[in-house]
Amino acid sequence: MSAVAFNEAAAGRAPGRSEAGPHPLGGSVGVSADRGAPVLEVRDLRVSYTSGKEILKGISFDVGPEEFVAIIGPSGAGKSTLIRCVNRLVEPSGGRVAFNGVDLLPLDEGAMRRQRRNIGMIFQEFNLIDRLSVIDNVLTGRLGYMGNLRSLFRAYGKSDIADAVRLLDRVGLIDHMDKRADALSGGQRQRVGIARALIQAPKLLLVDEPTSALDPKISREVMGMIRGIAREFQVPVLCNIHDVDLALEFCDRIIGLQDGIKKFDGPPAQIDKAVLADIYAMEVL
Amino acid sequence: MSAVLSGAGSHADRIDALAAARRRSRTQRYAVYLLLGAVVAWSVEAIVVGDTDWSRISLEGVAKAAWRFIDFDASILSSLWEATLETVLMATLATLLGAVMAIPVAWLGADNISPLGRATYLFGRVLMTLSRSVHEVVWGLVFVAAVGLGALAGVLAMAVRSIGFISKTVAEAIEDVNKGPVEAMRAVGANRFQVLMFGIVPQVLPVVIGNVIFEWDVNIRRSTIMGLVGAGGLGLALHRQMASYNYGGIATVIFVILLLIVFGEVFSAWARRKVI
Repeated sequence: MSAVAFNEAAAGRAPGRSEAGPHPLGGSVGVSADRGAPVLEVRDLRVSYTSGKEILKGISFDVGPEEFVAIIGPSGAGKSTLIRCVNRLVEPSGGRVAFNGVDLLPLDEGAMRRQRRNIGMIFQEFNLIDRLSVIDNVLTGRLGYMGNLRSLFRAYGKSDIADAVRLLDRVGLIDHMDKRADALSGGQRQRVGIARALIQAPKLLLVDEPTSALDPKISREVMGMIRGIAREFQVPVLCNIHDVDLALEFCDRIIGLQDGIKKFDGPPAQIDKAVLADIYAMEVL
Repeated sequence: MSAVLSGAGSHADRIDALAAARRRSRTQRYAVYLLLGAVVAWSVEAIVVGDTDWSRISLEGVAKAAWRFIDFDASILSSLWEATLETVLMATLATLLGAVMAIPVAWLGADNISPLGRATYLFGRVLMTLSRSVHEVVWGLVFVAAVGLGALAGVLAMAVRSIGFISKTVAEAIEDVNKGPVEAMRAVGANRFQVLMFGIVPQVLPVVIGNVIFEWDVNIRRSTIMGLVGAGGLGLALHRQMASYNYGGIATVIFVILLLIVFGEVFSAWARRKVI
C-alpha cells in the first residue's frame, strides 16, 4: 500500500525533474537546453493598482539560461512588483510573460501552480514557517507535488527527505536541521530559504532583496552562496537588489528601473556614475 | 515663573482662549458626573426602594438566614462526586465540539481567506454573533426542548455558545497573520489548502490552543449552571438541594463548584503557559 503511494509520488514529481537537464542533487548534469533560447521573456509588462496608478509602465527584457540578472533602482521603482509578476504573485494588467516558452498570463490557477513548481523564490524576510523545523521548511518546497492528505500529515517521500538533507548540507545547516526555524540567525534563516527554493529543482530563481534584512558581512556571504549555487545547478537568476555594489560584484547583467520604466540594461562594466545618476534620478557624488 | 519664558514671544490671546476652553470642558465634566449620580439615585429609588420588603430585613433575620447556609451538609459530599465528574466531562466535550465547529466558522469569518469574499465573510460573522449573543442558559433551554433533559443538551448548548468566542478570536488571528509565509507557499506552487495549512495554521495555532483552553475554563463555570435547566452535572444537584430547601446541601454544592472552578482556573493557566 505504502509502496504504491510512494510510486505515485515519484511519478507525480517526475515532470518537475525530467524536463531539466541538470539534476541539482543527482549530479547527472545532462545537456542543457539550447543556449540561445531565453528562459524568461518579459514583454511590455504593465501593472496598475485599482486606483489607476501605474507601477510598471511597459517593461521588456529576457533572461537567458544561466544568466544572473540584477534589478536595481530606487525604492518604489517597482522592482518587487516586477519580480512578483513573473510567478504571478502580483497580477499584471497587461503584457506578456513567457517561461521556457509557456505564456504564463493566460494560465488558470491550477496550470499556474504547476509552473510555479519550477520557479524558486527567495525572499527579503526569508518567509519561513517559524514553528516548523528547518528540514520541514525545506520540504515545503515540494508541496506543489503533494496531494492534500499527504501534505496534511507532512508525509514527504523518502527521496524528498534525502534531497532536503543533502541541500541542508550544501548550505551548511545540516547540524541545525531539527531546530525550529525561528531559533536560527538571519543569515542561517536565509540559507533555509535558499534550500527551500532549490528543493523545487527550479528552472529559474526569483530573488527579492535577499540581503536587506542582513548585515553587510552576511549579505556578501548570502549573495556568494546564491551565485555559487546558481552556477552549480545551472539555474538562471532574476534578483532585486538595492545595494549597487553587491549587484556589480555578483551579477552578469544589470537592469535599472525607475518609476516603472526600464532605464538601463547592460553588463556591470557599463555602469558608471552617470548611469547611476540616471537610474536613481539624482546626483551621485 | 513665566518670566523665564517672557522672551519667547507673547501669545496672550491664544493663552486666554485656551484657558477659557479648559474651563468650559471642566464645567461639562462636572455636569456629566452630576447627571450620572442622578441616574443612579433614580434607579435605586425606582427599582430597589419601592420593590423591597424592608420589614423582612432585620439584622437578626439576615443572620439567621445566612446561618442556615453555614450548616454545611457533608452527608451529600459523596453523592456529588459523580456530578462533579459529569460537569468536567460536559465542559471538556463541549469545548472540543465547539472548537471543531469553530474552525469552519473562523474560515468563513476571516476576511482575508473567506472562500467567496464578502458574502461568506458576513455569513461567518453572523454565525459568531448569533452564538455569542444568546445566553448559555437560553441555548440550554433550546437544546433541552430539542433533545430532552440530560447532559447531551448541556454539552450542545455550551458547544454552540463556545463557537462564537473561539471562531472570533481565531478569525482575528488569521486576519493578523504575517503574509510572508503565505506568499512563500504560493510561490512554491502550493494549492489553497496547502497555503492554509502551512502559511496560516502554524501562525495561529498558539492562539487557537490558548483560547480553547481558556474556553474550557469558562465552560467548567457554565456547566455548573446548565443543571438548572435540567442539563445534568453539579447544577442539577444544586437544583435538587434547592427544591428540598436543604440550605446546608446548597452550601455544600456551592462549595464544590467553587473548588472545581478554582481547579479549572489553575489547570488552564498552567496548560496555557505550557502550550504558548
